[in-house]
Amino acid sequence: MEDTLPCSYSPLPNGPPTIEGPLDKRRPRKKATLIIFSGLLLLLLLALFVAITVGDYRNSHNVHENENDEALLATSEPSSVSIPSEPVHSVSRGVSVGVSEKSNRVFADHNAISYPWNNSMLSWQRTSFHFQPEKNWMNDPNGPMFYKGWYHFFYQYNPNGAVWGDIVWGHAVSTDLIHWLHLPLAMVADQWYDINGVWTGSATVLPNGEVVMLYTGSTNESVQVQNLAYPANLSDPLLINWVKYSDNPVLLPPPGINKNDFRDPTTAWYTSDGKWKFAIGSRVNTTGITLVYHTKDFKSYERLDGLLHSVPDTGMWECVDFYPVSKTAGKGLDTSITGPGVKHVMKTSLDNDRQDYYALGIYDEKTDTWVPDNPNIGIGIRYDYGIFYASKTFYDEQKERRVLWGWIGESDSEFADMKKGWASVQGIPRTVLLDTKTGSNLLQWPVEEVDSLRLSGKEFDKVEVKAGSVVPLDIVSATQLDIVAEFELDKEALERTAQSNVEFSCGNSQGAAQRGALGPFGLLVLADESLSEQTPVYFYIAKGTDGNLTTFFCVDQSRSSEATDVNKQIHGGFVPVLKDEKLSVRLLVDHSIVESFVQGGRTCITSRIYPTKAIYGAARLFLFNNATEATVTTSLKIWQMNSAFIHPFRAK
Amino acid sequence: MRTLVFIVLVYVVFQIIFLSSSQCARLSPNDDNLIEQTCKQTPNYNLCISSLKSDPKSATADVAGLALIMVNVLNTTTTQTLIHINSLLLQSQRNEVKEALLSCVDNYKIGVLTADVPVSIEALTKGNPKFADQGTQDAANESNSCEEGFSGNSPLTVENTNINNVAKVANAIVKLLL
Repeated sequence: MEDTLPCSYSPLPNGPPTIEGPLDKRRPRKKATLIIFSGLLLLLLLALFVAITVGDYRNSHNVHENENDEALLATSEPSSVSIPSEPVHSVSRGVSVGVSEKSNRVFADHNAISYPWNNSMLSWQRTSFHFQPEKNWMNDPNGPMFYKGWYHFFYQYNPNGAVWGDIVWGHAVSTDLIHWLHLPLAMVADQWYDINGVWTGSATVLPNGEVVMLYTGSTNESVQVQNLAYPANLSDPLLINWVKYSDNPVLLPPPGINKNDFRDPTTAWYTSDGKWKFAIGSRVNTTGITLVYHTKDFKSYERLDGLLHSVPDTGMWECVDFYPVSKTAGKGLDTSITGPGVKHVMKTSLDNDRQDYYALGIYDEKTDTWVPDNPNIGIGIRYDYGIFYASKTFYDEQKERRVLWGWIGESDSEFADMKKGWASVQGIPRTVLLDTKTGSNLLQWPVEEVDSLRLSGKEFDKVEVKAGSVVPLDIVSATQLDIVAEFELDKEALERTAQSNVEFSCGNSQGAAQRGALGPFGLLVLADESLSEQTPVYFYIAKGTDGNLTTFFCVDQSRSSEATDVNKQIHGGFVPVLKDEKLSVRLLVDHSIVESFVQGGRTCITSRIYPTKAIYGAARLFLFNNATEATVTTSLKIWQMNSAFIHPFRAK
Repeated sequence: MRTLVFIVLVYVVFQIIFLSSSQCARLSPNDDNLIEQTCKQTPNYNLCISSLKSDPKSATADVAGLALIMVNVLNTTTTQTLIHINSLLLQSQRNEVKEALLSCVDNYKIGVLTADVPVSIEALTKGNPKFADQGTQDAANESNSCEEGFSGNSPLTVENTNINNVAKVANAIVKLLL
C-alpha cells in the first residue's frame, strides 16, 4: 500500500503565469489590464465554485465531466476506476439498524481453548432426515411446488464450494416431502441477465397445468432483474429441463428503486379482474416495502401504484411471501383464494438481521390493499426464534395444506464449513395454519410424513423432576430423535411464587443456569454423560407484577460444545399459553439440527449444535429442572428416527 | 496602487482555495466527507481512515466500494500474518505452540483467505451484502480462534488483534449497506 496522498500534487495552474505576464506590462496599459484581470480572476473563482458543487456526484461519468470542465485541475492520475457506479446512499441514517446486540455477542466469546475439528466430529454433523445436497453450499429455498405426483424443491446452490457464491438452482423431487432424490441442476448462470447469479424465485402453477417460474437474475452489470422460465417438457413429471424465456428480463428495477434492491418474486395469485399478481420486496431509503405487479401473460407487467406494505427503519425486504390462511378450516388454501373467511399473511425476510417476520391482515383483492389486524404490528412476529431465513411457502393441492420451507444456515466457522465440505440444511417442511385459539399467530408443525420415520418408541409416564435435579432418560441412541413432551408444574409453587417486575428474555438471560422459581426446566439434548457438553431446551415461567404468568421457551447453546468457534447464544421467545393448557413441546433432533415446536407450533426455535464429545454413541438425553421452587412432572414419548436416505435420482 | 493590492489579495485567496482543493484533484471535499462519515460508524475510526485513504480508489468509492477496500485490507493483513506464521513454524517451537500455529494457518488460509474474502467480495460486487456481513464477522471470529489456541502465550497477539480490528471495521461498513 502506498503512503502517498490520494491525488498527486498537480502542477501550478495556468492562471497565475498568465496573470503575472500582463502584470509586468501594467504600467503602459494600467486600467484596462486591471479590469481584464479582475474579470478573469472572478471567472476563475466562479469556475472553481462550479467545480466544487458539480463534484457532489460521485458517478465516474460525472468525474470525467469535471475533468473536462475544470481545465485548471489537471492531474496525472489515471482517470478511470472500476467501481460500480451508482448513486450514493446517504450515510447518515437515523438508526444504524444493522448493528444489533446479537451480532456483537458473536465476537464476545473468549472462553476455552480453540478446539481442532477432526473428520469424525465433522461428518457426524450431517443430518439424516433433513434436506441437504450431497456437498457444497446451499441457501434459499426456491420454487417449491407439487406437480404430477411429485413435490419439487429447488434451492440456491454453489456447485463450486462450501461457501456462498456462483449461485445456480439445485433441484430435487420427492413423493412425500421427506425422501428426496437429487436431480441435475435446473438452471445455471448462462445468460447475461443471470450470469452473476441465478437467485431466488417462485413457481406459479396455472389452472391449465402450465408452470411459470419467476426468478431474480443478477446481470453482467450486477443489476437485479426478474426473469421468466418454464419447464421444457410439461409431460416430464420430474421437470428436469427448464427453458428461459427468450425475451428476458421481464422486469427491470423501476424508477426510484436501486438496482441492488429488487429481488425474490413471490408465487402469483389470480384476482377477479382477470390478472395475475405477484409481490416483490425492496426498500426506499431505510423503509422496507413490498411492490406488486400485475400481468396477464407473465411476460409484460404493470406495477401497482401503491405498496402492499411498508415499514420504516427495517431496511431491505428479501424473500417476501404473501398467502391466504383460513380462519376456520384446519387446512391450507390455494394462493389465489380470498374472501371473508380468509386472512392474508404478509411475510418478509429482513436483510439487516437475517430473521423472518410475518403479520396477519386482511387483503382486499379489488383495491390490492392489505391491512394488518394489529396496526402496531410493524414488521410482525418471528416465524422462528432461532436460525431460520429466506423462508417460502407453497400450496400443496394433493393434501390441501400450505407448507413452509426455511433455510437453516450454519452457525459454526467458515473454516469448519470448508473443512467438512458443505454448509446449510433446510428446516423440516412445516404445515402452516392460523391458530384459531389465539387468532393472532400461525401454527407451524412438521409435516405428517415425518412420523413415518419413527422407529422404536419409548414412553415415560409422569416422571417427577424435583427442583435442581437432572434425570437421565434411558434410550438407545440420542442423535436422531422425535420427542413429544408434556410438562406440569405443581400448583402450589405456581401460587406461592412471588411476583417480579424483572423483564425476561431468552437472549439476554444466563441460559439454563439462570434459576428462577418456576424455571428453567426441560430437556438436555446432545449432552454427554458428564454433561460437559449439553444443549438445554427449556421452559421458563415468569410471574409478572399483575400475578400473571408469562411463558418463554429457550434453547441454550452456551455449553453446547467445547469448541469456541461455534455460536453460543441463547435463542428463544415468548410462548402464548392459554388457560388450562399443559405445557408441551415437540423436538426433532437430527445430528447438528435441533427444532423445537412449542404449544402445538405457536413458538418455534431452530438451532444448529456442534458438539465435539456428545456425538454418535456418546450422546445422551436428560430431563432437567433448574427451578428453585417448582417440581415438574413430565410425560414423554421418544422415538428413534430413521434416515431419509436422500440420494441422487437413478432412472430404472 | 489600491487596485494592485486588491488584485494581489484576491489572487492569494484564490491560490489558497485552489491549492487546498487540489489535494484531491478530481473530486470535491464531499468525498473525504463520505469516508469520514462512514468511518465514524465503525468501531475503529483511525484504522478505518488510514486504511481507506491509503487506497486511491477510496476517493471515488461509494459505501460498497469502501467496504471492498476494507476487505482488501483484510486480505493483505491476513496474508502478511500467514507469512509471519510460516516463519515462526520454520523456527523450532514447543509442540503445543506448533499445533496452535498450524491451527491458525487453518483459520487464516482456509477460513479467511479462501472463504471469507472471496465471498465478501462477490457479495459486495453483486449487491447481496448480507453474505459479506457474515464473511467479515467470521473473519473476526477466526482471529479469535487463532489467538485462543495459544492459551495466553500467543506470539501473534498483535497480528490477531489487527486482523480482528480490520474485520470489525469492514463488517461495520458492510452493515451500512443492509
